[in-house]
Amino acid sequence: MPPVLRLLAKRLGTSLIVLIGVSLLIFAIARVIPGDPARIALGPNATAEAIAALRERLHLDDPFVLQYGYFLADLARGDLGISLYTNRPVTRDIADYLPATLELVIVSGIMMVALGLPLGVLSARYRGSWIDHVVRMVTLLGVSAPSFVWAVILMLVFAFYLPLFPIAGRISDSYTISSVTGFLLVDTLIAGDVKAFGNAAWHIVLPAFALALSGIAQAARLTRSNMVETYERPYIEMAKSYGFPEKRIAWRYAFKPSLIPSMTIIGLDFAAMLGNAFLVEAVFAWPGLSRYGVAVILRKDLNAIVGTVLIISAMFLIVNVIVDLLIAFINPRIRYSQRAS
Amino acid sequence: MRRTFSILLRNPLSLLGLILVSAVVLSAVFADFIAPFPLHRGAVVDFANFNKPPEWPYIFGTDLVGRDLFSRILYAYRISLILGVVVLAIAVPIGVAIGLFAGYLGGWTEYVLMRITDVFLSIPPLVLAMSMMGLLEPTLTNGMIAVTAMWWPWYTRLVYNLARSEKEEGYVLAAEVIGASKLHVMFREILPNCVPSILTKMTLDLGFVILIASSLSFLGLGVQPPTPDLGSMVADGAKYLPDSWWLTVFPGLAILVAVFGFNLIGDALREILGAEQ
Amino acid sequence: MNTLRIRDLTLGFKGWSGTVEVLHGISLHIGRGERVALVGESGSGKSVTARIVLGLLQSLRSTRLSGLVEFEGRDLSKLSERERHALRGTKMSMIFQDPTSSLNPVYPILTQFHEVLRRADPAINLTGARARAEKALADVSITDPSRALDSYPFQLSGGMNQRVMIAMALANDPSLLIADEPGTALDVTVQAQTLRLMREQVERHGTSVLFISHNLGVVREFADRVYVIYKGRIAEQGPTAALFEDPRHPYTRALLDAVPRITGDGIPEIEDASDAYFAPTEVHEGYGEPEGAA
Repeated sequence: MPPVLRLLAKRLGTSLIVLIGVSLLIFAIARVIPGDPARIALGPNATAEAIAALRERLHLDDPFVLQYGYFLADLARGDLGISLYTNRPVTRDIADYLPATLELVIVSGIMMVALGLPLGVLSARYRGSWIDHVVRMVTLLGVSAPSFVWAVILMLVFAFYLPLFPIAGRISDSYTISSVTGFLLVDTLIAGDVKAFGNAAWHIVLPAFALALSGIAQAARLTRSNMVETYERPYIEMAKSYGFPEKRIAWRYAFKPSLIPSMTIIGLDFAAMLGNAFLVEAVFAWPGLSRYGVAVILRKDLNAIVGTVLIISAMFLIVNVIVDLLIAFINPRIRYSQRAS
Repeated sequence: MRRTFSILLRNPLSLLGLILVSAVVLSAVFADFIAPFPLHRGAVVDFANFNKPPEWPYIFGTDLVGRDLFSRILYAYRISLILGVVVLAIAVPIGVAIGLFAGYLGGWTEYVLMRITDVFLSIPPLVLAMSMMGLLEPTLTNGMIAVTAMWWPWYTRLVYNLARSEKEEGYVLAAEVIGASKLHVMFREILPNCVPSILTKMTLDLGFVILIASSLSFLGLGVQPPTPDLGSMVADGAKYLPDSWWLTVFPGLAILVAVFGFNLIGDALREILGAEQ
Repeated sequence: MNTLRIRDLTLGFKGWSGTVEVLHGISLHIGRGERVALVGESGSGKSVTARIVLGLLQSLRSTRLSGLVEFEGRDLSKLSERERHALRGTKMSMIFQDPTSSLNPVYPILTQFHEVLRRADPAINLTGARARAEKALADVSITDPSRALDSYPFQLSGGMNQRVMIAMALANDPSLLIADEPGTALDVTVQAQTLRLMREQVERHGTSVLFISHNLGVVREFADRVYVIYKGRIAEQGPTAALFEDPRHPYTRALLDAVPRITGDGIPEIEDASDAYFAPTEVHEGYGEPEGAA
C-alpha cells in the first residue's frame, strides 16, 4: 500500500474511534442531566400517558448502556432519531441547515488561508520594520474579540454607515434558486445564473470575513513566528551563500518548511470556526445550523443536540484528516515514516 | 520573577497590556466605588432615562430600561474575571496532571488518556460548552463547569508534549538513576520545567475564557438576566442597530480591551520566558 | 593573481550601545589552488570573515566595514550587490558545520542540486541536472548516486550528506571554497574520511580553500598555510609545518598546548585573555602579506 494511503487509513481509523468517543460523551451528558427530557419536550400540559409513550420511544427507562446501544444501532443505519422540536428526522433537519453553515465556514477558511498566510510571510520577511509592527498589532487585535463583536462592528460600518454590503441573509429575495447541493455559490452556477451568484457572493462577504477575522489573525501570527524561526535554520544560510534568488529562499526554504507546524493549528482554527459560525449566523440572520442548534439546545431536544454535535465533530475530524494529509504532502519525513510503522 | 516584571514594564506594548489589565481588574474589584449607578447592576428600571446616547452622567449611554451601561460593564467585568479565575483554577491542575501522566508514563496510560483528550478536543470548543450549558441550567456555576470541561484538554496537550520531550533530558534520567519515584520525577522534576509555558498560556487564557463566556451568553446560554454580562448586552443591543449603537459597541469594546490586555502580556511573557506555544 | 586578498579588514556591528568591533584590521591572502586555514576559538571572528567574503554581511544595516576584500583581483566593495550575488554559488561556495541541517528538509537532494547547478547554468533542466549530479556524487565515492539524489536529507547519514555538500560545493567549479568548520557535527572518523575526500576533490579541481576551524589537528592535515586569529586580530601566520614546529606567538603556543592528545573534537581550553596574546602578528619568514596591488 502506498504510504499516503496507509496514513489515510490510519488517520481515518483513529478518527472513527474518537468520533465514537464523542458520541459516548455527548450521549452521556445528554442522559445524566437533571429533569425528564420527555416532560420538557412535551411541555407542562402533557398527559402522563403521552410522557410515558415518549419515554418508551426514547428508551429512557432502559439502562444507560442499552440506551447507548440502541443509539449506536440507529446511527449505523444513518438514523439520528426524531427531533422533538421540529418533529422531523434530525438527519433531515441537519441536511437542510448544514450547507449554509458549511458554505460560510468554507469561505471563511479560504479567507483565513488566503489572507492570513501572506500577512504572516510579509511580517516575517520585513521583521522589525513598520510593516511587521502594523501586522502584529492588527493581528493581536484580531484575536482579541469574539467573532460576534467583529460581526456587529463590520455590520455597523459596512452595512449601515457605508451601505456597501447587505445587512442580512444569504441572497436577495428576488432570486429563486433550486437547491441541488445546498451551497448557494454552487447552485447559482449550476443554474447558470451569474447575477444570482454575484448576489450570493455579495451576501457572504461580511459574515465570512467576520468569522474569518480571528482565524486570519491567528494564521498570520503563527506563520510569522514559524517563519522567523525557520529563517534561523542553517539551510537558509546555505541557500543564501549559494546565491539562490531571494524570492525562492523566502518561498521554498523559509515558507514551505515553516508551514508544517502552522498547518495543525490552522486545522484547529477551522474547528473553532465551526463553533463560532453560530455567533456570526446569529448576527447576520444567516439561515444555517445556528438558529436550529440554539433552539434545540434551549428546548433540551436530546436527539437533535446529540445529532448536531456529532455532525459538527465529524466535520472537524474530516478537516483534520485532510490537514494531516496536506502536512504529509509537504513533509516528506511523515510520508516516509509510514513505511516503517 | 522580578526581572520578568521589569522587562514587561520596559516594552511599550506589554506596558500597555499591564495598564489595560490593571484597569480591568481594578474596575472589577472596586466596581462598588467607581460605578456611578451601582444599583443598575440588578433589575432596576428607570424609564425616564431609557435608551440615552452617551452623555453625562451616562458616559456609555443607557439601555432600554434606563440602566447606566458603564456601571453594568464594570460589574460584568467582575463576573467575567471570577469566572475566568475559577475555570483556570480547576481546569489547569486537571489538565496538567493528566498531561504529565500521559506524557511521562507512556504505554497504555498514554493511549487511553490522550484518546479521551482527543474526544474533548474534537468537539469545537464553543459547541461543547453550548450543549453542556443548554442541558444544564444556565447559571454562573454551570457556566464554569461547561467552560472548564472544554478547557482542561488544552493544558493536557501542552504538558503532554512538554513532558514527552523533557523526559529524555539528562536531569530526568539522573533523577531516575538515583531511584526517584515516578511521582517525584513528574511533579518535582518535569513540572517545574513546564511552568513558564503553563503560566504564559494561563495569562492568554484568562482573556480567552472571558471571550468564550461572553460568546455563550451572547447566544443566550450564559449567565441570565438581570446579572450584567458583556455577551448578552451585545446580543440585546444588536437588535437596535444602528440607531442605539452604544448598546453593542461599548460592551463589545469592553471585551476587546480586556482580552487584548491579557494577550499583550501573554505575548510578551512568551518571548521573555521562551515558552512553547 | 591571488584568489582572495584581504587587507586591514575591520568589522563592527552597530547596536544600541555603540558599535561593537569584531575584526580589528586583519589581512590574509589565498593563492590559486592554495589551502589556507583560519584557526581560532569561537567568537574570534573567523566565521564573520567568511561571510564578508561571500558578501552576506554587507547588506545588513548594522554592519560597519572598512578595508579591502579582493576576489580574483576585483574589489568586492566596488561591486554592486547584484555583481556580488552573481559570484555566490558560482565562483565561490561554502560548506557548513552540520551537513544534515544545512540541507532543506522538505526537498529531495536532486531538487537542491538542480538549484545549485542553475546558478551557473540557468537553462539546465532536471534531466541535465540529474546527469551532472550523478557524476558529481560518484566523484565523492557515493556508490548509488541515483538513489541518493531521490532521497531526502533525513534519509541519508551525516557522512553521506557531507559528501553531498562537498559535491554541491564543487559542482560549479568555483575558484574559492569556504569550509566553515566542516563536519564538526559528525563522528571523528567520518569527519576524517570526508575531509580526505574534500582534499582529493579540491586538488583535482584546483580550488582554493579558506578552511575555518578551531581544531588544530584537522588543520594540520588539511592546510598548506595557517592564520591564527585571536579576538579579531591575526596572531600568527606561516606554513603549516613551521607553525606547528615553531609556534612563536604566545596565543598559538597556548592553543597548541591545549590540543588533546588524541586528535578529536572539542574546543581547546585556553586561559582567558593574557596581555601577551595581544602581541603583534608573528610572521614566519617569507610568508607575509603581498604588498601593493595584487
